[in-house]
Amino acid sequence: MPLSLSLPASAGTRERAVARPPLPPLRGALRERLTFLAFVAPNLSLLAVFSYWPLVQNVWLSFVEWNMIAPEQLWVGLENWAIVLSGADFRQIALNTLLFTLFSVGLTLALGLSCALLLNQPLAGRNAARAVLFTPTLLPGSAIALVWIYMLDPRWGLIRTVLSWVGIASPRWLIDPAWALPAVILVYVWKAVGYSVVIFLAGLQGIPRELYEAARVDGAGPWDRFRAVTLPGLGPISFFLLVTSLLSAIQAFDILRVMTAGGPVIATTTLVYQLYNEGFVAFNAGRAAVYSLLLFGVMLALTAAQLRFVERRVTYS
Amino acid sequence: MNGTTKRQLFGRLGAAAAVPLLAACGTQPPSATEGSGTKTAGKQKITYWGSFSGALGQAEQGIVSSFNAAQNEVEVDYQFQGSYEDTAQKLTAALQARTAPDMSLLSDVWWFKFYLDKMLMPLDDLIKAEKVQTSDYVDALLKEGVRNGKTYWLPFARSTPLFYYNKDAWAKAGLPDRGPRTWDELTKEWYPKLKGQTQNGAIFAHPSAASYIAWLFQGVIWQFGGEYSDADFTIKIHEPKGVQAGEFYRSSVKDGWAYAAKDESGDFNSGVALTAMMSTGGLVARQQNAKFPVGTAFLPEGPAGFGCCTGGAGMSILASAPKERAQAAMKWIAYATGTAAATWSMASGYMPVRKSAVSGPQFTEFAKTNPNIKTAVDQLAKVRPQDSARVFVPNGDQIIGKGLERITINGEAAEPVWKDVADSLKREADPVVRKLRALNA
Repeated sequence: MPLSLSLPASAGTRERAVARPPLPPLRGALRERLTFLAFVAPNLSLLAVFSYWPLVQNVWLSFVEWNMIAPEQLWVGLENWAIVLSGADFRQIALNTLLFTLFSVGLTLALGLSCALLLNQPLAGRNAARAVLFTPTLLPGSAIALVWIYMLDPRWGLIRTVLSWVGIASPRWLIDPAWALPAVILVYVWKAVGYSVVIFLAGLQGIPRELYEAARVDGAGPWDRFRAVTLPGLGPISFFLLVTSLLSAIQAFDILRVMTAGGPVIATTTLVYQLYNEGFVAFNAGRAAVYSLLLFGVMLALTAAQLRFVERRVTYS
Repeated sequence: MNGTTKRQLFGRLGAAAAVPLLAACGTQPPSATEGSGTKTAGKQKITYWGSFSGALGQAEQGIVSSFNAAQNEVEVDYQFQGSYEDTAQKLTAALQARTAPDMSLLSDVWWFKFYLDKMLMPLDDLIKAEKVQTSDYVDALLKEGVRNGKTYWLPFARSTPLFYYNKDAWAKAGLPDRGPRTWDELTKEWYPKLKGQTQNGAIFAHPSAASYIAWLFQGVIWQFGGEYSDADFTIKIHEPKGVQAGEFYRSSVKDGWAYAAKDESGDFNSGVALTAMMSTGGLVARQQNAKFPVGTAFLPEGPAGFGCCTGGAGMSILASAPKERAQAAMKWIAYATGTAAATWSMASGYMPVRKSAVSGPQFTEFAKTNPNIKTAVDQLAKVRPQDSARVFVPNGDQIIGKGLERITINGEAAEPVWKDVADSLKREADPVVRKLRALNA
C-alpha cells in the first residue's frame, strides 16, 4: 500500500502547506484582499454602473434644466427642488402615494392572511381555490387594468350589474376623483393578494403542530391559538411580506398608467407616476430627478424604519 | 484544475465582465439606426417611425407597401411606435442612444421640441432635389412647419376638430340635419329636445387631457374672443375672455348638457353621447363603427364668432440621417404627401394636404358620396394655426388639459385655475424663448 494512501487527509494538506514557503503577513493580507475583490468585482461593477452611477447622476440632474435631448444642461441650483416642493400639486401627490401604499399593503396583507387561514383548512376544492387566487399575480398588470376598465364601466360593467342587484348605483369609478383612487387600489389588491396568500400559506405550514396541540392542552381557544401561536409563528413571513409589499406598492405604475393615467385631474398621481410625467411626458429631467430622489429617500427611510422597529419584534425560531 | 491557474481564471472572468461594460460605455458616431439604411438589392433602405394603429395604421401600411412596390430606389421600413406621445418618448431615447430612425411622424405638439434642439433637418434642399412643388401644399398647413424661412415639418395627417352628431337622435328630436350654428342654439334650443334620449341627460362628451381636450378647447377660447397666448409666448389664457370660455365649459357640466367622458369616441360611437367635438382623423373608421348615421358640421360659433384650429401630424427627417438616406426619405415623403395624398385622406378622414388632391377627380368623386369628409375641407378655409402655448411650450397641451379637467371634472371656477395654468405655462415657456433667441441670433 503506498504510503500516501495510509496518511489521513489532514496530514496531506499539512504536507502541501509545509512544502509551500509561508507568505509574509503583509503579502498574505494583500492576496486575501485581492481574492475578495475578484469575487465581488463582477457584481460590484454591475451595481456601480447600473445603480450607483445613475444615482449620482440623478443628484446632478436634480440641479440642472435639461429636456433630455439638448446638448447642454443648464445649472439652476435648487430651482427644481423649489418648484417641486412648493408646487400646488405636491401635497396631493404625496397624500395619494401615502393612501395608495397604506391601503393596498394593508388590504393585501389582511386579505392574504384571511384567505391563507381559510385555505389552510382541509376544505374541498382548496387546491383549485389556491390556483384561482394566485393566477392574477402571474398576469401582466396592463392586461388586468384593461379588463378592469370594462368591469368598472358605470354603464355596462360587471361591477355595475352586481351593485344593481342590491340596489346600489355604480359610482363613476375612473372619472370621479373621489372614486378613482379606491378603484385602482381595488385592482392592485386583487392582483397582489394571491402572492401573499401563497407566502402566508407556506408560513402557516411551517408552524409546528405540537405548538397548537400544547395550546389546546392548556385550554386555549381558537382566538388564543391564533394570537399566541399563529401570529408569532408568522412573524418572519409577515415581515418579509411587509417589506416587499411596501416597496412594490410605492413603485406601482402599470395599473395606474393604463387605468387612469394619473387622473382624473391628479386624483391617482403618485410619486412614481409624477416622476414619469415629469420625465417622459414633460421631458423635464431635472424635476423628474427630484421626484426620483424623493422616492429613493422615502424607500430608504421605510426600509430603515422597518429594520429598526419591526424586525426587532420578529422571532425567527 | 488542469492547465488553468486561479490567476488565469480570475483574469478571464474579469475580462469577460469588462468587455460588455466597456462596450456600453463606448461612444458611437451620431448616425441613424445601425442596420437600417443599408442598400438592399439596389434599393436604399430607410427607417420610418409611425404612430397609427388600427384602421389608420392599416391605411398607412398600405401606402408604404404601394410606395415600395412602385419604384426601385427606396425601401421604407415602417416601424409603428405607439401614440404620438409614445413616438416622441422613443425618439428622445433613441437620440440619446444614437439609434434614431431616418425620419419620423411627429404631431403638432412634438415636432417643435426636436426642431428647437436642432435634431431636425431643414428639408428645402431635399425638396428641391426631389422637385416637389411646395406651392401645391395647402398653404396654411405648409406654413406651420416653416421656421426662419426653412421647412422642417411637412404636412401628412392633418386634421381639424369637427362637430359630430348622431343623425338618428337629431331626427327623433325633430331637429334639422345639420350642426348648431351657435353654442346657444345647441344648449338653449336643441338640448331640451335631445336630453330625453340619454341615460343621464347629458348629450355632449368632453374628452380627458390625455385625449387632447386642450386641442378641442383651442377653438372654443377663440370663439369667446380669448387665446392661450400670442405668437411671442405672452400667456393670455387667464385674461377675461379666456375665463369666460372656461366658465362656459364649467357650466356645460353644471347645467347638465355635457359630461366628462372616459372615452368620448367610444361613447359617441355607441350612442351614449349624442354629440362631441372630435378630430377629422378617424372619421372613416367612425362612420363604419357607429351604430347610426354620423353627421359632421363646422364647430358652433361663440359670442366672438367662429374659431377652429388645425392639428394632426407631419413628417420630419432627423438631422442625424446621412445625406443619401435623407434624400431617399424625401422621396417617400413626396409620395406619401403627394401621389398618395388623396388615397390617404379617403382611407382615414384626414384632410388632403395638397391642393391638387382636393380638386382632383379621385377625391371629388369620393366626396360626392361621402359628404362628411368635405366638411373638414370646407372648414379648412376658416381655420388657423394653434396658439404657441399649446404647441410650442413643452407639455403645454397637458398643462392646459389638466386645467380643463379641474374645470369640467372638479367644477372649479375658471379664474383661479387659469391663473395656475398661466403660471405654469410662463415658467415652461422661458427655456423655449431663450432657445429661440439663440437660434434667431
